[in-house]
Amino acid sequence: MAFIPSHRKKHRHEKREVRLQLTSMMDMFTIILVFLLKTYSTQGQLVNPSNDLTLPSSRIQTIPEMGLDVTVSNDWILVNNKPVVRTAAVLASEDYLIGSVQQEMLKYANEAEKMESQYGAVFSGKVTIQGDKNIPYRLLMRVMYTCGQAKHPNMRLVVYKLEA
Amino acid sequence: MAYRPSKRQRHGMNEADANITPMMNLMVVLIPLLLTSAEFVKLGVIELNLPPAASGEEAGRLDQIPQESIKRLDLSVTITDQGFFISSAMAVLGGPQAGDPTIAMIFDDKGVSVYDFSALSRKLYEIKEASGTKFPDSEQIILLAEDNINYQTVISTMDAARTFQVDGRSIELFPEVSLSAGVF
Repeated sequence: MAFIPSHRKKHRHEKREVRLQLTSMMDMFTIILVFLLKTYSTQGQLVNPSNDLTLPSSRIQTIPEMGLDVTVSNDWILVNNKPVVRTAAVLASEDYLIGSVQQEMLKYANEAEKMESQYGAVFSGKVTIQGDKNIPYRLLMRVMYTCGQAKHPNMRLVVYKLEA
Repeated sequence: MAYRPSKRQRHGMNEADANITPMMNLMVVLIPLLLTSAEFVKLGVIELNLPPAASGEEAGRLDQIPQESIKRLDLSVTITDQGFFISSAMAVLGGPQAGDPTIAMIFDDKGVSVYDFSALSRKLYEIKEASGTKFPDSEQIILLAEDNINYQTVISTMDAARTFQVDGRSIELFPEVSLSAGVF
């Protein structure tokens, strides 16, 4: 009778040989972890990048603060990410005030004022304007004027920071 | 009988591996968490200096009454499609010929006409040096632009008005930039 090797022993032997090498993977993860910690931001996403919104770039070093969002893209004007009016329609009109945007912003202003009187959360009228880099100056002026007329005089322009 | 080393010692080497599986688990959780909050584009914000609740005319009138006796610089830069015009309360800085912009457009390498921001910055630096702190508004500058000037140009002009970049240093010029309604 021929010799049959023990199946159990064979199994035991193989188990010792097959071992996943995790060390190099650990090295990689450590590097990624350090990189991500460096680019960590506690602010969350302030801008939603899209095709028709490219912010202008500037050398300014001021850190952005949150406020009511007014976005002026090539297609739409949005208040807190809600499309309000077509940019083309605003450009076509002669009116300096953008009525629909004002209405929408006043809603937020009134709500914030109610909060202020009831709970003491100070309403500072902060608004951040995210404009596409190609919008004409007259559109920017109209948006700014509208913000001023909608109880939000505290305007900031959001830009991409250029590395100094 | 010859000396035979113990076979047991060899096993010890194999088992010296650290158990990194829990560490891996940690990484697998941490990396997606940090990825979602990573900031790949740095954002900045430009504060605009506006008087609260001011609509053009009113603010202008209120501003002028008490300060009429004080000499003001009232420096302003106007962006037109031909270039920049610099003006103050006293005069408009002319270009090489009457009616020319103070700083005309230049041509870049590809022959496209572009705004000369560094020349503007240098000119404003000269003004800053000459005026010093003689005026109450020596930190302020007003920006005007024609209707069709694009936003990036306005922002770049603000940059040029705010600081003057020379030899890797940046000198502060007029940090309080205000925007004014367009040129009509």
